[in-house]
Amino acid sequence: MTHLEKLVMMANQIAQNLAHEPDPAAAAAEHIRLFWDPRMRAMICAEEVAGLMPTAKAAVALIRPMA
Amino acid sequence: MTYQPQADFGTPVSNADEMVTLLIDGREVTVAAGSSVMRAAAEQGTAIPKLCATDMLESFGSCRLCLVEIDGVNGTPASCTTPVAPGMIVHTQTPRLQKLRKGVMELYISDHPLDCLTCAANGDCELQDQAGAVGLRDVRYAADATHLGQAKDLSNPYFDFDPAKCIACSRCVRACDEVQGTLALTMAHRGFASKISAGLASEGFLGSECVSCGACVQACPTATLIEKSVVEIGTPDRAIVTTCAYCGVGCTFRAEMRGEQLVRMVPWKEGKANHGHSCVKGRFAWGYAQHRDRVLKPMIRASIDQPWREVDWDEAITYAASELQRISAQYGRHALGGITSSRCTNEETFLVQKLVRAGFGNNNVDTCARVCHSPTGYGLKTTFGTSAGTQDFDSVDDSDVILVIGANPTDAHPVFASRMKRRLRPQNGRPGARLIVIDPRRIDLVRSPHIAADYHLPLRPGTNVAVLTAMAHVIVTEGLVDQAFIAERCDADEYRDWADFVSLPRNSPEALEPVTNVAAADLRGAARLFATGGNGAIYYGLGVTEHSQGSSTVMAIANLAMATGNIGRRGVGVNPLRGQNNVQGACDMGSFPHELPGYRHISDDQVRGLFERDWGVTLDPEPGLRIPNMLDAATDGSFKAIYIQGEDLLQSDPNSRHVAAGLAAMECVIVHDIFLNETANYAHIFLPGSTFLEKDGTFTNAERRIQLVRKVMSPLTGLADWQVTQRLAQAMGLDWDYSHPSEIMDEIARLTPSFAGVSHAHLDVAGSLQWPVNAAAPEGTPIMHEQGFGRGKGKFVVTDYVPTDEKTGPRFPLLLTTGRILSQYNVGSQTRRTLNEVWHDEDVLEIHPVDAEDRGLKMGDWVKLASRVGETSLRAYVTDRVAPGVVYTTFHHPETQANVVTTEFSDWATNCPEYKVTAVQVSPSNGPTDWQRAHDAWATQSRRTRYGDLPG
Amino acid sequence: MKVRLSDDAVARACGADVVAAAFIEAGVEVERVSSWGMHWLEPLVELDGLGYGPVTVADVPTIIDGTANSIGRIEDHPFIKAQTRITFARAGRTRPLNLDDYAATGGWQGLAKARTMGAAEILDAVIASGLRGRGGAGFPTGIKWRTVAGAQGPHKYIVANADEGDSGTFADRMMMEGDPFQLIEGMAIAGLAVGADAGFVYIRSEYPHAIAKMRAAITASAHLVAPFILEVRVGAGAYVCGEETSLLNSIEGRRGEVRAKPPLPALKGLFGCPTVVNNVLTFAAVPWIIAQGAEKYAALGMGSSRGTMPIQLAGNILHGGLFETGFGMSLGQLVNDIGGGSFSGRPVRAVQVGGPLGAYHPISQFDLPFDYEAFAAANGLIGHGGIVVFDDTVDMAGQARFAFAFCAAESCGKCTPCRIGSTRGVETIDRIIPGEEVAANLALVTDLCDTMKSASLCALGGFTPYPVMSAITQFPEDFGGGEAA
Repeated sequence: MTHLEKLVMMANQIAQNLAHEPDPAAAAAEHIRLFWDPRMRAMICAEEVAGLMPTAKAAVALIRPMA
Repeated sequence: MTYQPQADFGTPVSNADEMVTLLIDGREVTVAAGSSVMRAAAEQGTAIPKLCATDMLESFGSCRLCLVEIDGVNGTPASCTTPVAPGMIVHTQTPRLQKLRKGVMELYISDHPLDCLTCAANGDCELQDQAGAVGLRDVRYAADATHLGQAKDLSNPYFDFDPAKCIACSRCVRACDEVQGTLALTMAHRGFASKISAGLASEGFLGSECVSCGACVQACPTATLIEKSVVEIGTPDRAIVTTCAYCGVGCTFRAEMRGEQLVRMVPWKEGKANHGHSCVKGRFAWGYAQHRDRVLKPMIRASIDQPWREVDWDEAITYAASELQRISAQYGRHALGGITSSRCTNEETFLVQKLVRAGFGNNNVDTCARVCHSPTGYGLKTTFGTSAGTQDFDSVDDSDVILVIGANPTDAHPVFASRMKRRLRPQNGRPGARLIVIDPRRIDLVRSPHIAADYHLPLRPGTNVAVLTAMAHVIVTEGLVDQAFIAERCDADEYRDWADFVSLPRNSPEALEPVTNVAAADLRGAARLFATGGNGAIYYGLGVTEHSQGSSTVMAIANLAMATGNIGRRGVGVNPLRGQNNVQGACDMGSFPHELPGYRHISDDQVRGLFERDWGVTLDPEPGLRIPNMLDAATDGSFKAIYIQGEDLLQSDPNSRHVAAGLAAMECVIVHDIFLNETANYAHIFLPGSTFLEKDGTFTNAERRIQLVRKVMSPLTGLADWQVTQRLAQAMGLDWDYSHPSEIMDEIARLTPSFAGVSHAHLDVAGSLQWPVNAAAPEGTPIMHEQGFGRGKGKFVVTDYVPTDEKTGPRFPLLLTTGRILSQYNVGSQTRRTLNEVWHDEDVLEIHPVDAEDRGLKMGDWVKLASRVGETSLRAYVTDRVAPGVVYTTFHHPETQANVVTTEFSDWATNCPEYKVTAVQVSPSNGPTDWQRAHDAWATQSRRTRYGDLPG
Repeated sequence: MKVRLSDDAVARACGADVVAAAFIEAGVEVERVSSWGMHWLEPLVELDGLGYGPVTVADVPTIIDGTANSIGRIEDHPFIKAQTRITFARAGRTRPLNLDDYAATGGWQGLAKARTMGAAEILDAVIASGLRGRGGAGFPTGIKWRTVAGAQGPHKYIVANADEGDSGTFADRMMMEGDPFQLIEGMAIAGLAVGADAGFVYIRSEYPHAIAKMRAAITASAHLVAPFILEVRVGAGAYVCGEETSLLNSIEGRRGEVRAKPPLPALKGLFGCPTVVNNVLTFAAVPWIIAQGAEKYAALGMGSSRGTMPIQLAGNILHGGLFETGFGMSLGQLVNDIGGGSFSGRPVRAVQVGGPLGAYHPISQFDLPFDYEAFAAANGLIGHGGIVVFDDTVDMAGQARFAFAFCAAESCGKCTPCRIGSTRGVETIDRIIPGEEVAANLALVTDLCDTMKSASLCALGGFTPYPVMSAITQFPEDFGGGEAA
């Protein structure tokens, strides 16, 4: 598994486990903001990242402006 | 201090509130009701002669030396079994008593060797003392029959058993029963033929069920059971209290010394975590400190395929600093990082994270909690507001229902397990607490002497959240929640959301049974028991955290505790059994890349400002890299240097090949450790470390209990670990000038509210302190959340079961889970270098008889254990402790390379590796794999020094 | 034609089964009943109230055809007429496992009355009766029960001590084999008095017939004593397990080791719960007390020893057996008038009363009344009521040695005075007997006995000095050529 694939898996996992939050995408975005190093955030925010599930994708979109 | 044996009041302390006043030898003494006359006398300073009584054990009444005369009472009752009564008038020394005591002692000595002068207990023998105390001058018996010719049992590696010196006081038997709870010893035969026996006569101590905890040795008043080290060296002349460096129980010991030689470690009776008990590791397995593998000089090399070159400290530190600065300049300050040790002291850990934050200029610092209890930190912070367990160990005395999930306390936290077992056994008419065990394996606790779990739920590995959600389903749908607690202490909306969720039909035990493999009826029974059985306490370990839903499981546990009102008083609570001696401390000290000391996020401007002002630097506000991310970044090329203190990534982290690749990709790996470990194979700079015996500092155990580590010998390398880190920091331009670890603790206290009242001086007086220690709780906080949660209201979090991606299939049909064993510790770097090897000199694979038979395997056969990431070989151990479809091994021996097969899957919130679920296949093998052999050969190569020899 | 013949172990040992078979073969109906307790007459056959004994197979035809010599009506026999049989009222008269026989002879009346009385009234009655523990300690039974009644615990238990290890005793065995329902009834009444719903009968392993009879009796009567439940527990060859705390340890599956007191078993006994531990005879006396009235029981006896004592006459005695009488008869009366003197015909020299740890009494003490306090005042004890007779061929030094050897063999080993002292005692007596330094060794034995008496944990070590010192004091001529201590 490449580094990026691993980050995608992690992002999907986070989104899936926060699915019951009132705003799952925001919760996932907050989690990534709190715990991911800037390089990791930069990688996941790259435009062509494939494999993100919808909520994870939405979370990444929330992070992108600040990455 | 000059050597004094520990005080012994004869019988245990009474916890009654009522006090009783009586007269002993004409002097008034006031003691708690229920105390024995012997204890009352001892508290007054009168030592009534005794041999079978000791305050670690219930009174027995067998030696008959402690007789006293009591006005109005016929005869001469034994003071150890006579409770005090108001107004009692006791005489401890009269002509009648003298005659009787001499008579009894004369009988003892008529059957005892008279070789005091050359006996190992000379000077430390209670029989000697009491013979003197009662004034025995003459043994008139001709003594035809004696026990003098009995053979010694020297089988145990750490202590001798000499039955010729036994006075049949049964203290060893009682210690094994009452204190340790193993019940390995008994008195065989009866009458004059009475003889202490460890199991069958043919087995001796080593072959028996004895776990070598040393409680019997400590209890023995003569030389019958005695440490081999005392036999060899002689009696100690001074004792220093310090804290064990093995597990998270944090036993305190008296390091008994002669000069700078450690003679023996004796559990400290006043230790609040261990109350005078120990396990084989802390008690006996300290020989690694002087093992020949110990590296005493710093070593450097330009590349990892070269031999090591010994240098002095200055050269090593200068080289390390220059490399780090070079890499920072070349690749940016984010290309460096550090790993703190969860075995080193709080002060040392604080310095490493300070070095990274203030020196390297980033937050790339992490610790081994990443791979063990990081989900605890996340889960409990989210639900309760504090990243730590809620109780102290003593709390278990008040529990009525004990739920153990994903933990094996008798192996991994043995001294606490003995405490738990005391509560589980019935005693004096008080029924034992009920027990629920949730574990894929039938751990020893499920069925042990006088203990039988009410429920053992042998779930399929990876389904913790499903099981706990199903339990919650039962509790909510059957109306067993503690509504009053929830109303007062938790957020109502969050509770409702959670209650609605768990009540869904798909979360019932019946619906989830195909997933969990737990019979619905058993799960319902367990849930009901926990909710209605009284004080319910949950104890959990890495079987909870080392999963892809580790954090969710912790939160599910917290949900259960809140739903049943089991928080905020003695006897209940959520208790993570922290693994390492200072992993709690390492987390407290800000070892995580996203947190400053005290669990405050690095992005919090106010907190960061506090540190910036105190340290005189600007700090990076962004979270740094966790260990697995460091390794990923290394293979990417953006992470180039690492300073690792007291952690063996290569042996203990998952997916060894990935770890190796990451390390190999770095340009500067600094390993600061006491032995050349597996990670050092990839190191460029080796800084020799110091053991816990060689430094001052503090450790924090699983109870949040901060205890002092006291130096008993000078560091063999010349420097304690904190001094090494300081030198490195100074070489990098930081103006640190700590002269003693207490100054570091003062800085910690200054910067961390929960540590505000902590100082070495305070600890010296108090013995230990459980944080938070502040104005509101100046002597510490045993039980947390008594009035309210750390975060205000407790938060119910919906934890939906998400199966792990790690799935079994035709190629890998079995599930591997991992764990620990009593005699070896973690990666075994310490215990493998002691005589503990006699109990476990290799890791084996536990496999169910059905699975073994399917593969044509017998006990002891070599097998290949393969997963999609790697394979290794080890021997099979066929047993039904594991369920069909599940295999189990330990990771104590580097030869096994167990982590070659574990995967990169991890907890969603913290990246704690999913060690506990790996899809594997097992097949017959001829022996170690080529890879293992090659690795072994290469590792041996890597350890060689310039002069062709292995160091040390 | 119907004859009655006992199936008690003594009777069977004397050939009762063979005799019974002979009768049956001759077409006679045979009722197996409990033993009358006249050992020299067993096997004792009863036909229409007349007794024949001891009977052999050869006598069977003559009994049938009426030509045999009978001993007369059994109940008119002087040995029986001299007794006050309350506890052993049914001995010889009923079939032990027959519920109808039991009910027809007053059985279950005590329990029925107790059920109407309530706990407090039962306790008052037992206290008023003056009943004391018949195992040997002689502690007031009602006081013990009252303590248990007032104690707290998750459960309470009734335990019958049927370990009966004393040499020369057999009353417990006779009761269990001959009138087991009475023991059961007494235990059930105890259960009502203290609030216990379960009980154990701890029987020594050497009593297989009693074990089988008790189990059968418990099963047969279970529905009558319900909800009280009973279970038999079997010992494993340890005299010390007749001591109540090691008995409890044995029931719990532990080593038969003595426990220190306090705590008393009444408060923390079996499995840590309040427990009544009493001897078989103590429980067996209770149904009569409740049914007939405490004051009737208390009217018998003397001093503080109220009621009757089932005395067991044994050893070298002409008429050995069960003699139940009110306290107060003299030792001499029991040995000579009732017992008929020695079996050998030689003069009686010593009588050991109260089991192997009882004192040896010379004939000069034959005026001692059979009473707890009188014997204690004479440095003796009545114990469980066993009397063992020795004629003038007895070697008292050997008996003293035997006392130590018995203690050494049976010692649980927990306490030093008994564990080591008993062995040292044997060794020292072994030097006295051939005359080695007799004075010094007698002084040593005396010191040893003082230590054992005052410092032992239980009565095994604690009472061994009784036989030893009484032998030395009363029969000094047997010790090393007559040199007294």
